[in-house]
Amino acid sequence: MNFKKLCTPLDHRISRRQWLGGVAGTTAGALGLCQPGLAQELRRRRKQVLFVWLEGGLSQLESWDPKPNTLFGGPFRAIPTTVPGIHISELWPRTAQQMRHLAVIRSLHTQDNNHSSGVGRIQRGDPANRGVTYPYFGSAVANLLGPGESGLPPYIWVKPGSGGFVTSDAGFLGPRYGALALGGGRAPENLLRADSVSEEDDRERLALRQLADRRYVQQRRTQGTEANSYVYDMAAQLQRHAHLFNSTTLPARDLERYGPSEFGRHMLLGRRLLEAGVTFVKVDSHGWDTHGDNFNGHSNAVPKIDQAFSAMMQDLADRSMLDNVLVVLMSEFGRTPRINGHIGRDHWAEGWSLVMAGSGIRRGVVVGRTNALGTFVEGDEHDIGHLFHTWFTALGINPSRTRYNNAGQPLPIAHEDMEPIRALLA
Amino acid sequence: MKDEKMQSFILHPSSLILFFKVGTMTAQAQAPANRFEPRQGPTVNLDCQLGTVRYSPCGRFLAAGAYDATVRRWEVTDAGFTAMPSLTGHRGWVQALAFHPDRRRLFTADSWGEVRSWTYAERQAPPVRTMAAAHDGWIRDLAISPDGRLLATCGRDQKVRLWSIEDGRKLHELTEHNDDVFSVAFHPDGRSLVSGDLHGNVKQWDVANGRKMREFACRPLFFNAANFEQNVGGVRRLVFDAQGRTLACAGSRARTGGNVQGHPTALLFDWASGQLRHTLVVGDGADGYMYDVAFHATGFLMGVTSGNPGTGKFFFIRPGEQTPFFLSTRMTNCQSLAVHPNGTRLVVAATNAGSNGNGRPLRNGVYAANMSPLHVWDLPAS
Repeated sequence: MNFKKLCTPLDHRISRRQWLGGVAGTTAGALGLCQPGLAQELRRRRKQVLFVWLEGGLSQLESWDPKPNTLFGGPFRAIPTTVPGIHISELWPRTAQQMRHLAVIRSLHTQDNNHSSGVGRIQRGDPANRGVTYPYFGSAVANLLGPGESGLPPYIWVKPGSGGFVTSDAGFLGPRYGALALGGGRAPENLLRADSVSEEDDRERLALRQLADRRYVQQRRTQGTEANSYVYDMAAQLQRHAHLFNSTTLPARDLERYGPSEFGRHMLLGRRLLEAGVTFVKVDSHGWDTHGDNFNGHSNAVPKIDQAFSAMMQDLADRSMLDNVLVVLMSEFGRTPRINGHIGRDHWAEGWSLVMAGSGIRRGVVVGRTNALGTFVEGDEHDIGHLFHTWFTALGINPSRTRYNNAGQPLPIAHEDMEPIRALLA
Repeated sequence: MKDEKMQSFILHPSSLILFFKVGTMTAQAQAPANRFEPRQGPTVNLDCQLGTVRYSPCGRFLAAGAYDATVRRWEVTDAGFTAMPSLTGHRGWVQALAFHPDRRRLFTADSWGEVRSWTYAERQAPPVRTMAAAHDGWIRDLAISPDGRLLATCGRDQKVRLWSIEDGRKLHELTEHNDDVFSVAFHPDGRSLVSGDLHGNVKQWDVANGRKMREFACRPLFFNAANFEQNVGGVRRLVFDAQGRTLACAGSRARTGGNVQGHPTALLFDWASGQLRHTLVVGDGADGYMYDVAFHATGFLMGVTSGNPGTGKFFFIRPGEQTPFFLSTRMTNCQSLAVHPNGTRLVVAATNAGSNGNGRPLRNGVYAANMSPLHVWDLPAS
């Protein structure tokens, strides 16, 4: 394998400041970027991402694009928000109070209505086929923005169920850009040093492992061995941040505000991780594939998301973090307008919605629209590629000029035929 | 199996005209194997999906609450069902309705929190009374006391409310549920009300003072899958037998979220002792909810189920028996069961076949909604 970092001529069209920054810093290669100066600049601005993922498919009609008292509108009402003229489903009363921070897009038409393939296509940005597996958004941002100064892994995924180091998210970037998944919001197993091992012994053991790793890598350099070494280093760093996982130190008021649900706890951990400097925090909620009993499902599940998400938005705003943290809440697709016999909604990629906020995003706006029945988009349709362009731009990354360096192969970071949705950008 | 001529009715979208057609369909029902086996009659096709369907106390009218915010009505004669103008004015789904025993008024409730009453036999029937904010949002069920003096409502706002039918005053607010309240029913003696919620809690209330008297544990009707935010289940229907000796609590013993698959289940409690006497399960774990049930005069339970699109059961089962002695799977996704007051006719609100599908299922180039056919069954007199 060729490890030389190659760039295209386009990649060298950077400013003198960026170039100087790149020369001064030596970490650009480690970031896998072709624009070292840009990496330096991004590090200075310290952008972060909170990515809230509702696995299975949130209904747009029960969230951001309600069509009350229409054929497919369902039983719920629409409510006003803090932005005059913008109404959302009554299931989101707390988020409605945060609308001044949010941007809604109602014109999504994506290409895949299957979970198995759709989740990957959405989270990888559905780029044109280059014969490689693209990274998930979290791995992409971890690569493009780097870990920052926190010493924490750049991509942490708080999720229900099991945890571990999920390398598959990283695609061609290599396993070290995978996600550290905190299953159940718990710290990685055996993170803390056992009492029977002294601090000095632990340090010596770590040094010995690093020595062995270096010798091994000299002979057989692979992404796998790098990642293996990286995980150990990451664990050592995490040990110094073990307090992040101690929920007993959380203020009771915060626990109450985020709610007693598992998602509430996970969002609160997500806030701590962002405050600690983690570049990309993903928080998952499961159970949104409501083919059956859709309305009761949304009726009791949405309030848990509404409570925690709105508390998070308030906290990010109060801490002035929305200037630097990009927030996205979404699923792999929406749900059919048509209501099936199981009183459910099926998968629908042809006209759905999501919300975003924060760094580089306009506040208190709705972009795009569906027709009166909510069946199809009216006007310009937008795909996930448009959103990747928008989000990268919002993070200060120029998606038309920045390229991944896949072992010498320059690759666009977002679909080349698409561009940012300007109406969403501040 | 045999082929038989079936007559069906197609309702014009105006709801004013009925077309008749005769076609050949395959009937699954065998010659009656027992004296209660029903025989399927005509089907009334509609242009909307229905929540609940009920006969008037006189048996001359049928009413159904629809997802298009209307109340559909038919005049019932020996010749069939003649559509009457829909009752309009609700704005959300109409899932709850009940006829007043005065044989004059129909009460309906919608998902926007409004209750209306109508003089249902009149061709043009403006609402007699409108309670615009009876609940904050979705009213899931309503019931009228046997003496006609009280109206009970319950909803997504976790409240059960008792109203004076005479003047519309709220008499009691019953607030001990901590989740969606799906169902209410008056005991035939008129002194007690029961209410059932999402978590399978059934509470008995003294209607005189609004105090809780006791609880019936229906926890098997609640399910929360590990790692899922979605809560599943709930007591979807509460029904007493005519003597008030048995309370049936219907729902699902669910085993998944998302698709919501489970065993349609009714828990039968002895009213005097409060003890669970029977657990009646109709369908396997890949089925769904037992949405509606009614007691036959002789004591068996009649009901309908709905699960994954395409599934649905209409059944008769005797308390204490493991399997129904009558079971039809001919209708898909059955939502409601109306029993004629004389006990010889049943109407099942179901769903058209092929109601589901990811993506864009177009019919003749149109993105079409689903609808609820009404299936009519004749039942031998007991």
